[in-house]
Amino acid sequence: MFNMENKILTEQGQSCLQSLLTIWFDFERGLTKIPIIQRLEQGRLSIEDYRFLLLNMRQQVIEGSRWISRCASSFDRSYSDVRSKVIGHAQAEHRDYEMLEQDFVAVGGNLDEIQNAQRNIGSEALHGFLMYHATQKNPVDLIGAMWIIEGLGNKMASEWAQSIDEIFVGYEGITTFMRYHGKNDEAHVEKLYELIDRLCKSDKAQENIERTAKVVARLYLLQLEEIDNG
Amino acid sequence: MSAYITSTGHYLPGAPIDNEKIEDVLGFVHGNPSRLKRKILKSNGIKTRYYAIDNKHNTFISNSKMAANAGNNCLANSYLSKNKISMLSCATSQGDIVLPGFGSMVQAELDISDIELQTSHGICSSSMMALKSAYTSLLAKQHENALVIASELSSRLFKASRYENAGDYSQDFNAEFLRWMLSDGAGALLLESQPRNTSFRIDWVKSFSHADVYPVCMSIGIPGDDSDSRTWQDYPSYAEAEAAGALLIRQDVRLLDNVVKLGVDGFLRLLDESLIKINEIDHVLCHFSSEYFKSRIFAMLEKAGAAIPEHKWYTNLYTRGNTGCASIFIMLDEFRRTQSYKEGDKIICMVPESGRFNNAYMQLTVVNV
Repeated sequence: MFNMENKILTEQGQSCLQSLLTIWFDFERGLTKIPIIQRLEQGRLSIEDYRFLLLNMRQQVIEGSRWISRCASSFDRSYSDVRSKVIGHAQAEHRDYEMLEQDFVAVGGNLDEIQNAQRNIGSEALHGFLMYHATQKNPVDLIGAMWIIEGLGNKMASEWAQSIDEIFVGYEGITTFMRYHGKNDEAHVEKLYELIDRLCKSDKAQENIERTAKVVARLYLLQLEEIDNG
Repeated sequence: MSAYITSTGHYLPGAPIDNEKIEDVLGFVHGNPSRLKRKILKSNGIKTRYYAIDNKHNTFISNSKMAANAGNNCLANSYLSKNKISMLSCATSQGDIVLPGFGSMVQAELDISDIELQTSHGICSSSMMALKSAYTSLLAKQHENALVIASELSSRLFKASRYENAGDYSQDFNAEFLRWMLSDGAGALLLESQPRNTSFRIDWVKSFSHADVYPVCMSIGIPGDDSDSRTWQDYPSYAEAEAAGALLIRQDVRLLDNVVKLGVDGFLRLLDESLIKINEIDHVLCHFSSEYFKSRIFAMLEKAGAAIPEHKWYTNLYTRGNTGCASIFIMLDEFRRTQSYKEGDKIICMVPESGRFNNAYMQLTVVNV
């Protein structure tokens, strides 16, 4: 996820980026321990697994555009430049879920089923946490959330989509969401680097960003763990 | 209480073997030249290496003898006589015999008496674990000195006959990959609780293992057929284990990228703990298996805002080969003898191991007395 120019200039920004990287690596190891992700990474994913993975991710993707939009509106005029960037981000992603639904249908899923599915327990917790934080005034700490979610998008495109296409030979157009979402996220991660410099101006801000990244990472893992409990 | 590296030594068997001569020594599998050789050598950047087997596949020096030679070379450069050594700590990924421990065999070869013995088993990072054991023994005042030796004789695994006996699995990319990477050699360090002349003080040794997260990446003992869950000793005979490809050394190359990530992750942890300060680092000695991975590690540290300028990186991989756990000691020995450094210089040593992802780090400070 880090194949772009180094955009971090300030010392505080660098320190924050280093912590976020450490949190990311920890999150990535956590992913590798989740049963359904293990099956994906080791080539043992069944078509039902993949359908269920998409079904469980859809709610998060839909809610994702909501919390980012709300986050944008919570920045006051002293952060209007940040607000513009976050609005741009929300705009680019708010209909991603349609691609995900197409992939679900392409692997034999029923559109009604995915559209009427409930959020899993992890998605409930993640959504609740993100919406609450997005409602706070000038929610600088949400860069930590974006870091994890954008990083994951990148990982999906660069690793998971390829594994899935290798496992399900004979199917076509079943990873458009993962591939598109990731391609898009690379530009977003670049913007994130700029945001880190812009928003991480104190030790306190850095602490909040790190904490939010850790919580989001943990809740995202919970969401994926819950897939096998469904 | 501190511990110092007061002497170093090495042993590399025979004459250097260049890329064109590798198969003259290791042999042509079924009489044919390898199709992968050129590609893998281009990526790892190694130009010469040493083998302890000759071109008739006779082993002309054993692993324990190489270790003893490196140990003697280290002591010959030191202020201590052999009979003053009180601890011997050895590492290898494969001794000459399966049991007893490698250290026992090395002690006998060295002919030193009444020592406390430690054998560390693993792959590339096992030398650092052997070193840490000696280092902590000195800090705990259990010993005033310790000889630490790491030695590898992997060429025996790469003889053409090994592949010919593994039937269908001989064409497996993962099984052939290391044939063009690994070679033989030994390195030794003498640790003392007092510095001598110009010494390297050990500031700390730390390692982080991630075997709980990832599957095995480099192995011997697993058959070529993924669906066969047996390991080499579970077969009725060793001949059957060999025919199933269970005695080949393999690298799961798809998992290798994790080495880079975890290597950088460990580095960032040390930064976070303030054990490493980027601006204070004068030299970096990193055991990377190939030029390709060096550039990956380098690029990732740069992204993390933790870049160390390239001129501070030292390696002798390209001329001495990748000697597994011995590499970092052979590198440190040649660095000590041939490079320029001054009092107060900080040296960072890194050994990211792909076996099942153990990453070891060490910081040294140059002292003069």
